[in-house]
Amino acid sequence: MPVLFRASFGYLLRHPWQLTLALLGICIGVAVMVAVDLANESSRRAFLLSMDAINGEATHQIIAGPTGVDESVYANLRVEHGVRSVAPIVAGYVRYADTTLQVLGVDLFAEREFRNFSLSGRNENSVVGSRTGDGSAIDVISSILTIPGALLTSERTAQTLGLESGDEFRVVASGREQDAVLAGTFSQEEQGRLDNLLVTDIASAQQWLGMLGKLSRIDVRIRADDTALLQRIEAVLPPDTQMLSAAGRTQTTMDMSNAFLTNLSAMSLLALLVGVFLIYNSVAFAVLQRRGLIGVLRALGLTRGQTFALILLEGIMLGVVGSVLGLVVGVWLGEQLLYLVARTISDLYFVVQVTDVSLETGSVVKGLMAGIGATMIAAAVPAIEASSFQPRLALTRSVLERRAGRSLPIVAGLGLFAASAAVFLLMISGDNLVAGLVALFLLILGFSLVIPIAVRSCSRVLAPLAGRLVGTSGRLAISGVGASLSRTGVAIVALAVAVSATVGVSVMVDSFRGSVSEWLGNTLQSDIYVGVPRGAMDPDLLPDLVAVPGIESYSTSRRTWLETEQGRVRLVVLRMAPGSYAGTSIRNGDEEDVWRQFDEEGAVLVSDPYAYRNNVGRGDTISLRTSGGDRAFHIAAVYQSYDSNDGAILMSRETYDVFFDDPTINSIGIYLGENADADRVMDQLRQVSAGRQALIMSSNARIREMSLNIFDRTFVITDVLYWLAVGVAVIGILGAMLALQLEKARELAVLRAIGMTPGQMGGLVTIQTGFIGLLSGIAALPLGLLMAWVLIEVINRRAFGWQIDMSIDLGVLLTALMLAIGAALIAGIYPAYRAASARPALAMREE
Amino acid sequence: MKKVILLVVLTGLISFLVLRSEPPSETGLIALPGAGGSARLSELLSDQGLEGYAQAIDARDFVFPQDHGPHPGFRNEWWYITGNLDGEDGRRFGFELTIFRFSLTPPDSASSADESAWRSNQVYIGHFAITDGGERQFHVAHRYSRGSVGLAGAQADPFHVWLDNWNIQAAEGIGKNWQLHASDDDVALDLILEPLKAPVLNGIDGLSQKAATSGNASYYYSITRLQTAGTIRINDEEFTVSGMSWLDREWGSSALSREQEGWDWYALQLSNGSDLMFYNLRRNDGSQDVHSAGTLTLADGQSVYLSRDDLIIEVLDTWQSPRGGRYPIAWRIEIPQYKLRLTVDPVLDAQELVTTVRYWEGAVDVSGEQDGALVTGRGYVELTGYAGSDVPR
Repeated sequence: MPVLFRASFGYLLRHPWQLTLALLGICIGVAVMVAVDLANESSRRAFLLSMDAINGEATHQIIAGPTGVDESVYANLRVEHGVRSVAPIVAGYVRYADTTLQVLGVDLFAEREFRNFSLSGRNENSVVGSRTGDGSAIDVISSILTIPGALLTSERTAQTLGLESGDEFRVVASGREQDAVLAGTFSQEEQGRLDNLLVTDIASAQQWLGMLGKLSRIDVRIRADDTALLQRIEAVLPPDTQMLSAAGRTQTTMDMSNAFLTNLSAMSLLALLVGVFLIYNSVAFAVLQRRGLIGVLRALGLTRGQTFALILLEGIMLGVVGSVLGLVVGVWLGEQLLYLVARTISDLYFVVQVTDVSLETGSVVKGLMAGIGATMIAAAVPAIEASSFQPRLALTRSVLERRAGRSLPIVAGLGLFAASAAVFLLMISGDNLVAGLVALFLLILGFSLVIPIAVRSCSRVLAPLAGRLVGTSGRLAISGVGASLSRTGVAIVALAVAVSATVGVSVMVDSFRGSVSEWLGNTLQSDIYVGVPRGAMDPDLLPDLVAVPGIESYSTSRRTWLETEQGRVRLVVLRMAPGSYAGTSIRNGDEEDVWRQFDEEGAVLVSDPYAYRNNVGRGDTISLRTSGGDRAFHIAAVYQSYDSNDGAILMSRETYDVFFDDPTINSIGIYLGENADADRVMDQLRQVSAGRQALIMSSNARIREMSLNIFDRTFVITDVLYWLAVGVAVIGILGAMLALQLEKARELAVLRAIGMTPGQMGGLVTIQTGFIGLLSGIAALPLGLLMAWVLIEVINRRAFGWQIDMSIDLGVLLTALMLAIGAALIAGIYPAYRAASARPALAMREE
Repeated sequence: MKKVILLVVLTGLISFLVLRSEPPSETGLIALPGAGGSARLSELLSDQGLEGYAQAIDARDFVFPQDHGPHPGFRNEWWYITGNLDGEDGRRFGFELTIFRFSLTPPDSASSADESAWRSNQVYIGHFAITDGGERQFHVAHRYSRGSVGLAGAQADPFHVWLDNWNIQAAEGIGKNWQLHASDDDVALDLILEPLKAPVLNGIDGLSQKAATSGNASYYYSITRLQTAGTIRINDEEFTVSGMSWLDREWGSSALSREQEGWDWYALQLSNGSDLMFYNLRRNDGSQDVHSAGTLTLADGQSVYLSRDDLIIEVLDTWQSPRGGRYPIAWRIEIPQYKLRLTVDPVLDAQELVTTVRYWEGAVDVSGEQDGALVTGRGYVELTGYAGSDVPR
């Protein structure tokens, strides 16, 4: 065997290009997969860790409607009912130094059983506020309890914000500036978990967040076996509150992002799939190249099993080296992707602060397994082929190619079978997202398997045509593609798959963007929007604002969350301005009737994703926890909305005021009179609100622009991923062309010898790669459109419940075609140069 | 006389809130995180920020029942009730229920911009212990809270001091019977207390000087006999009990003198109708502080001030705490002037309160003689400053 290894590795080392490209293919495939996995897991872990730190030891949480839990509920539990394992929490967000910080308002006296904020040693030197003590722990605690706005952060957060103990600063909460003072810091051991968190007294938090008299929640700690206590607490809770499992709440929040993360993972697998094609290409080619050697070895007594093992082992070695390299690159890439993933999750689902990529053993093992496994599968086919060589036949090229040609219909048949399986799977799998993704992959696989036979047909038909147009070199180039399918076929497939992914994703994203844009156009009916980020508008300010001349009418909006055991649901409460109903597009039902029910009968509308996720529709009822307890609401219709990934419920202000004790308004939409000037009105609005509340004002167009920006941001990571797939494919073409050339060295030398100029030689190669690109592009278009359709109608629907109107932009298709040809031509530059500069005598002397 | 214990308790508060993972601090020493050593607890609170508080400087007129209520102008205050009880089957019990009030800042320092009902400079701390002489078990619980949103507080009319669901309150009519409730996981207490004697003013007309400096004093009165009846629950067993309780009330703003290390406090109810209270302040050097003092309340309610020199106290026995520290737990007490000779023995050796700080507070039995006549009695003794030391000083 050592001899065999030497033969095998000697060959690979003599062909460093082949070796490098094969390794690169595996490496990038594994890297992308590992990177996405790491980014996903890190985001998830960061969220869980921060929830863990914030929830502490709480097993349950008592929550209530939009305004929170009445603080008397807490005192009542403790004083009247002697329940000790409870802690009040007022939580929210403030901004300081362009950073959004989470505020956790606690009662330190109740914290002992829940969270552990160990003060760091630096506090001994701090002087808090006006106190002149020695800055001891009692001072810090005393400050937190008695100085409004006194707070604690982690040491790292204090450093990031440039704050030291004792520093006084101003934070912005609900559009109002509030006093804050850093009383002390937590010790470093809590690093990461409590970053960007301000821990303050519950009194300060209530003041800042405008939650006087209210709590965000009450944390409860109950032993698993203490059902008596659970029941005792439940029995005394007012009807608008409910007690939910803390772990369950964390889970349902995290689950919201699952579909998004699953889609990312699927996309990363695409890169690996393209990588598999590359590996197959490399190993298969290495086998073909050594058919003579293998023939000799077989003649010398090497058994079939040994041959198989040799080739497979070679593949595995490549796989191991490539995968390990892929891991290294993947960790680096993961760090780059992490930011994108975390930002998207924060945009769409929940605020997550991720600072480091956490190296999960699971991700690493998965990446290695996938890389090595994929290489084994890719190497198995050529290994079987090599072991089936008849030593006597010395494996002439024509025999091989004929064999490959014979197997084309079988391969295509397999492809058709896979495609049928995909369709079948789509039909029977209901709403299952993973099944949808599996079907998508089967479809891609099936389609790819049909490509080679199509390529052969094309080259047969087109070769004479090319001969007439470009001459002999053209004919040779085109027919060469078909005649050497055993190598070119796979490269074409790899490029086609990569390019089709760009088509599929582009068409999907464009369609999605088109639908969102159209929806925004419909929905954004007001001329000016005025609101407070994450907060309530000052009720005293509102009448003064709408009294500004030029304002004809206005609508008000309250956006809040309602929580259920199944997770939270977005509730949008509108008081519509006259004539603004057209802004909401109703999917089904008579508009007039729907709006009458909405305005007068307390009915609600639900958005597409909500209807899809909860399997409800027009005429159904849903139960919501109101101030007076659970109450059923009639669904008047489903409406079009891309507002919330989890779906939203639309309720009229009148209905809301009846069932919820919450006068809060988050924003208003202003309709201008005929001759009013938007800028002037906005100026006046600013003057009215100056010094009272910092309001965000945006024109209709600006909101639309910002919304689309967020939309685009969401798909940045998608772009990144498919460009990586294209990168892998380009490497594939490069490898295939080099291989082809190497193999045909003698053939090409003969051509040179009989009078072809170096220019013609280069042209031959360029035409060949261009043709490969063209074929890939042509194959990619239908596959891409098919992918787009599956993404829109199956994947997006199953994952998010979106209703997207598919729209195909010709530009996207042309770009894809150009991309395929361009990628192939770029990959062909070096092979063409080599072909042109080859010295025929040297090449012919090979034997 | 619980001045030092308040500081001990506050130190406990720090460790309660901040040093959850740390062991309870010992002998009033608190390891400040990262301070590279330890600071004497008395130094933490002794000299700082006393401006703005009312001070106990001159004698005052005590008015009851109003003075049972809080005195928010002063920094610290407590309602301290101990008692010896018997079950119907003769099972012996003792209890301690104390609620401390502490101001973090002077009364007029509150910020007006603050609208939250939670904001409060008042901290309430509760200690609750039951001595079960039958099972020879000692049960302890402690609570902390801010004095706002109804979680804890004190008021004179109607009299009510509470912390979570622990209550000391007027049962029927102010200044007459009191009602006590406290509970924890395994123990609970429900008692009615009826005062048998009028409040007794300790020190000089109720001004109890603790150190030489002016203002380093507190207002201090006791009700030495409260007829007590009610129930005690231990685990799932409920006992109907009756017996006698003792109330100590004290408020002031002064801090601990640096030289004082701890004290021994005795509250004894004797069979001849008189009650003896004495606190022995111990100095760092092991000597007895000159400000040690007490009160002898006679059967007719008349009270006599006792100075350091009026008593002779001799330790008869000690107890080694498994958590470290050796406490004296039996004494011979002699007041020659009254020909009173008493021997004091604990109902249970292990009556150490292991909260965030440690001290010994337990029920005791008294026997002896006065003027040749046999005297018995019961009472409570409190010992601080011993935890962590091996030799009683």
